[in-house]
Amino acid sequence: MASAVKPLGLQAVEARYNDVERHYAETRDIRLLGFVFFLISDCVLFASFIFAYMYLRVSAPAWPPFVDGHQLPWFDTAFAALNSVVLFGSGVTMHFALENWKHLNKQKFNAWLLATIVLGIAFLLGQAHEWSLIKTTWQGSSMGASFFTLTGMHGFHVFVGVIYLTVLGFQANRGVYTGSKYFGLTAGTLYWHFVDVIWVALFFLFYLW
Amino acid sequence: MEAGMHATPALHEHDSDDHIHPPPEGFIRKYVFSLDHKVIGVQYFITGILFMLIGGSFAELIRLQLWKPEGAIMSHEAYNVVYTMHGTPMVWLVLIPLVTGAIGNFVMPLQIGARDVAFPWLNMISFWIVPLSGVVLFSTLLYGGAHAGWTEYPPISLQDGVAGALWCLSIILVGVSSTMTGMNFMVTIIKMRAPGMTWTRMPLFVWATLATALMNMIATVALSAALLALFLEHVYNVPFFDPSRGGSPLLYQHMFWFYSHPAVYIFILPAFGVISEVLPTFARKPIFGYKMIAFSSMAIAILGFAVWAHHMYPSGLAPWIQTPFMILTFAVGVPTGIKIFSWLATIWGGRIQLTVPMLYALAFLITFTFGGITGIFLASVPANLHEHGSYFVVGHFHYVVGGGAVFGFLAGLTYWYPKVTGRMLDERMGKIGFWLFFAGLNLTFLPMHWLGLEGMARRYASYEYFAKTHPDSVFWNQFATVSSFLMVASVALLAVNLIWSLRHGKLAGNNPWGARTLEWMISSPPPYYNFKKIPIVYDRPYDFGEPLPYRNLDHETDPYPAPTRASLAGPAPFPAGA
Amino acid sequence: MTPETFEKTLAFIGAVVVGVTALVQLKNDWKAHGLDALVTKILLGLMAVGCVLALLASVNVLGARS
Repeated sequence: MASAVKPLGLQAVEARYNDVERHYAETRDIRLLGFVFFLISDCVLFASFIFAYMYLRVSAPAWPPFVDGHQLPWFDTAFAALNSVVLFGSGVTMHFALENWKHLNKQKFNAWLLATIVLGIAFLLGQAHEWSLIKTTWQGSSMGASFFTLTGMHGFHVFVGVIYLTVLGFQANRGVYTGSKYFGLTAGTLYWHFVDVIWVALFFLFYLW
Repeated sequence: MEAGMHATPALHEHDSDDHIHPPPEGFIRKYVFSLDHKVIGVQYFITGILFMLIGGSFAELIRLQLWKPEGAIMSHEAYNVVYTMHGTPMVWLVLIPLVTGAIGNFVMPLQIGARDVAFPWLNMISFWIVPLSGVVLFSTLLYGGAHAGWTEYPPISLQDGVAGALWCLSIILVGVSSTMTGMNFMVTIIKMRAPGMTWTRMPLFVWATLATALMNMIATVALSAALLALFLEHVYNVPFFDPSRGGSPLLYQHMFWFYSHPAVYIFILPAFGVISEVLPTFARKPIFGYKMIAFSSMAIAILGFAVWAHHMYPSGLAPWIQTPFMILTFAVGVPTGIKIFSWLATIWGGRIQLTVPMLYALAFLITFTFGGITGIFLASVPANLHEHGSYFVVGHFHYVVGGGAVFGFLAGLTYWYPKVTGRMLDERMGKIGFWLFFAGLNLTFLPMHWLGLEGMARRYASYEYFAKTHPDSVFWNQFATVSSFLMVASVALLAVNLIWSLRHGKLAGNNPWGARTLEWMISSPPPYYNFKKIPIVYDRPYDFGEPLPYRNLDHETDPYPAPTRASLAGPAPFPAGA
Repeated sequence: MTPETFEKTLAFIGAVVVGVTALVQLKNDWKAHGLDALVTKILLGLMAVGCVLALLASVNVLGARS
């Protein structure tokens, strides 16, 4: 795995990256900054609902809350930990995919991208399974309200990401991107990492806290 | 060398003719789905004014209702819808589109020497969401209307049914538009300034737009989240705010005000920016305290996130939380105070020209300061517990919004109208309109302060019981109602002026005011590409009396050639020893 | 072996593999320039933190309740 990318290649990668027309480079920087700001604003969206969850949890008389006289059970950590590792793994595979693209290795890019998409779908299936195990409903309690809303929003982001990565895969193979000009792939990778990191927060807040 | 990674663009000459794209063709591309920030700015203006006429009409319905203490013209149910549909469009479909969408869009790219914003397509989408959102908002009237005020607190707002859900949807939409505009403007200002325009050489309106864009990008998403939660509770019965299933109504208030407090700074900061442009131009003096004004804009943007609970003091917050919010709210008044003093110092000793924009700017200093001071009263927890929910609050915010944001907007409108249209507005109509609005604003909203302190509650369709113990409240309400028509007259006169001057106004030329920011260096109206060659900037734009700090302007010969170091140093010194 | 133990074992192994890989990649990319590299480094680091959390969960140090 350490041989998937060679450290010496960093200079070649940066040389290719900078070997573009000035106008393209400026446009790329603008689009990158815009995309990063988009990710920051998406963070605020999750942060708002995370605040709502924390507020309801801290102000509840008991957690898990009581519904119809019975206390709800805690969420099951084991499966969630496994599913989390699946998603984090997909982040690493996506990183390898982009690195291989930058090192002009299209076959390996395709392989790692496919692995990312497969792991992403596996995560979504895992979430569906996790949802079926939850003993409360979206409407039934503040625990359900916060859990299903936040993991639902996150799952939607993963779903969009899977589609986005699939489209990127087709575009890359059609020749839209080159060794120097691959902003779409960069954006897709950053988006995927972002979705990953949001899950770190949600995993901690719902399963470990 | 990473391309484009510097904060300061490299100081080399761009021969940027190659970056001028061909002109747009066809009516639809030029005027409907335009990508040009100038056209989009005008579109925001027209939309904002239209919604202002509607929102203002609802305001007049409020004033007519309060003509009699038992309520003069409508039921209590209807009245609740009326004030909701006054406040909601005014906040989201008028103020933000006018100050940020219209003036920000038109002026900011010109002031930084750019050809457009960073993402023109996104800009166009951001605009078209606004009329769509307005249609959705007013469609709530078909379902009985939303009843709970522009704040729509649950649980009472959950009784609105379909209207409530549509209300949420409409504001979520306009929130998305704002967020995208904020992001767009931030990238534009960070990445697309002309060569030589360092951060401390930017016009202050651009600083104001930057601070506003930062808040738009961050705070508005929190609003979308709050309203999404409310929408989910409306439509899917998800119990975020229902205490019987673990939710909390107070949670909504926290989520809502976390946005809505920065929102008021989103209204006012662009207006502050306009004032910072107008005062130096019509006092013919450099702005006093440039760095303090720029810094205080950013300070307000950041501190403004820390004070939201001052809207919630009587709601059951624990006392130990209220004190820090009170202190922070006092603190956030300090940067604004710094600005007011800087502006006063700017005009002190200047050669004042009382043009219409200057009148609005000077009036702003008076009315906004007054509103800011009543805000300090409201910031104090003990005073607030008496004043909350009363007409004192209504008086306060109409002074800061009407006397602040609206005056700032009108100063900007009358200042930049010549640049947008190539024609001057009629000065006499402008002055009469100004005095009508100034008188109307003060006479309408000043009485609300003492009515509120005496205990008249807001959002009540009738004030019968209050009138029994305070009989002169009837007079003051009627006084306010009559005075409000002065503002109606002013707006009507403004509309006439805007339209008449399009055909009959004096030709403006490039720079009718003798101002120094980059938008005045090109023709009025500007060509679609703004600048033939991107200018190079040498200094701040406020040094009246000095040569213009630009090179590469689109004139055949620069009227004010850029100074060289030698020419600035003065004549050569005598030879040594003489 | 119960399903729960199986899941925890897999999670443990996966967390180690993925976490170590993420940190190695972070070290390799440490010298890269640019905004995208900065964001990638931050997010890779946070992913590694996530793996640590998953690891601790898989050995019942965190998140273990009756």
